[in-house]
Amino acid sequence: MHALALALALALGAPDGGAEAHLLAGAAHFRAARYAEALVEFRVAERLGEREAAAYAGAALVKLERWDEAVETFETAVPGGHPLHDYYHALACYGARLYTCADRLLADVGDRSGPRIAEQARGVREEIARALSAPPSETSLAWYRARCEARRAEGRTALAAAYCREADALAARRVGATRAAGVDTAAAPRNGGGP
Amino acid sequence: MIAPLLALALAAVDPCAPVQPVPPDPVTAQAYREVADAELAAGSRDTAAAAYRDALARDPSDEASRSALQRLCAAHGPDPFQDGLRRMDAEDLPGAARAFEAAFAADGNASAALLGGIARYELGDDEAAERLLRAAERDPAHREEARFYLGLLALREGDGARASSLLEGAATNPALASPALDLARLARRDGRVVLSLVAESGWDSNVNLGPGGPDGVAARSDGTAALAASALWRPRGARGPYLRAAGLLHNLATLDVYDLTGIEAAAGWQLRAGRHGAAAEYEYAHRTLGGDDYLGAHRLLASGWLRRGRAVAAGSYAVRFESFAGGWSPFSGVLHRAEARATLDATPRLRLGLAYAGGRDDARESVLSYWEHGPRAEVRILLGRARLGVDLGLTLRAYDVFDEALGARRRDTYLDGAAFVEVDLADRWTARAGIIGRNARSNVDALAYDKLAPSVAIGYTLGL
Repeated sequence: MHALALALALALGAPDGGAEAHLLAGAAHFRAARYAEALVEFRVAERLGEREAAAYAGAALVKLERWDEAVETFETAVPGGHPLHDYYHALACYGARLYTCADRLLADVGDRSGPRIAEQARGVREEIARALSAPPSETSLAWYRARCEARRAEGRTALAAAYCREADALAARRVGATRAAGVDTAAAPRNGGGP
Repeated sequence: MIAPLLALALAAVDPCAPVQPVPPDPVTAQAYREVADAELAAGSRDTAAAAYRDALARDPSDEASRSALQRLCAAHGPDPFQDGLRRMDAEDLPGAARAFEAAFAADGNASAALLGGIARYELGDDEAAERLLRAAERDPAHREEARFYLGLLALREGDGARASSLLEGAATNPALASPALDLARLARRDGRVVLSLVAESGWDSNVNLGPGGPDGVAARSDGTAALAASALWRPRGARGPYLRAAGLLHNLATLDVYDLTGIEAAAGWQLRAGRHGAAAEYEYAHRTLGGDDYLGAHRLLASGWLRRGRAVAAGSYAVRFESFAGGWSPFSGVLHRAEARATLDATPRLRLGLAYAGGRDDARESVLSYWEHGPRAEVRILLGRARLGVDLGLTLRAYDVFDEALGARRRDTYLDGAAFVEVDLADRWTARAGIIGRNARSNVDALAYDKLAPSVAIGYTLGL
């Protein structure tokens, strides 16, 4: 959390009283773990024209565990290319149970964000690997598709798309797993004996 | 599951605190107000309050922010939901349940209904838990969590069919799918009537406990086959009275003299209240050995348990009045056994257990009477549809008096081990492979022996 605020402060330099001042104020709140206040400042900065503020608001939403809103914010934010943004985006996906989304982002974070974040990213990827170790069930796929439809009906198209993409990715894993099992079965002895 | 709700407690902003003015800036104030309106629409009252305060500080004439803040302040008061979160975090379940019920009554908050239902479930207040969980179920955001706990309630009531239906409903949530489907499978074997049948085949390396067993000759191995059936009737589910009956056939391929049959019948009562419970039971058991009467025994059992978080402490005491027939009659007497046990759910799939037991066999012949005690460790691992278990136990036994026939006062040490893997083949079918072993040491060399007995079994369990 400190790394994000520090990165922000270093990137911005001295405040000039406009949107940047609100970004810095948000960073100060973020560093002090006052995430609600940080979110407000980042959102105000966004409204005053600071396009990069959306990603910082996404990080605050992650800290507030408002996963859906965090995913939605990152999905619509201007890509900043900062690895910490990708890391928080991944955490948002993970919190919203968008596991393949989180895994893809964390794979890209790699060591770009320093050893501490890289280590945390590795830990989350291990948890994701465990969660994805079994082929997804039909009920799981139905859950993601239902979420996609529900969010689309609410007009939250970016979030709906994230859930639909996850359903598609999981469905692909399910097909892959079925094929692998089929190959194994065909190759296995059918007389109960060993090779 | 409740972590996001608990996190809200860390994000509280007081909407009633005085607003300190800063240099006027109506443009920025408007941005704050827009953020506040968006946050309020998203249901984030804390963040909205923080933004309205900033708007008002920059534009004291902003009546919209002022009145929104006043409404938030009026609704703020002592927040029973936050109070419930704090109490739940402090494991004050009765206080948490009352606070969540107050929060639910105030504004129909479905999160409060869910958490109140969970607290009432943990407290064993099933009627109140069901009412709150039904209310939470109506909110799509909490539907699956509510059904999960409603399924647990149905399981507790012994209604396996309803439990499995609810748990399958909960499994549509990916975060709950694994535990919910596992429990749904178990629920189909549960009910107010539970019937089970197990067929087993195996091998016993040392049927006669040689070299010093009843024959006083070398160890003899043999193949084994067993059939066990049991029936359980519990008219009020897991709580209340129950009756149990069981039968057992255990035959050896060649050593017929060790063929065992048994029947038993039991009546008991189980009490459960929240995180603790107790049970009392009477059981009668009869055994034949090699086709002849062997044992008739009356047993009284009392047990109790207490759960704290992921740990359970339990204790039990049993006394069995044993009456052996024919040449075994000197073994007749009273057998006492007490055990203290602690188990820990180290992870959702790993359970560790540690127990210490002591026993006293007050046999008719004092030379056969003994005290024994020792520790036991258990590991249970859940792997999808399979369960693995490993047990290890040590027992130190000391007989009361000098045995002239043996020329010693007997002292034995038993090292017991067991391992098994159990796989759910289908809803009601289970396969099991296991091995048990014992290394018995004694100060009387002829009574030392080793034994290994691997087996495979298939079982069918039906819950009605």
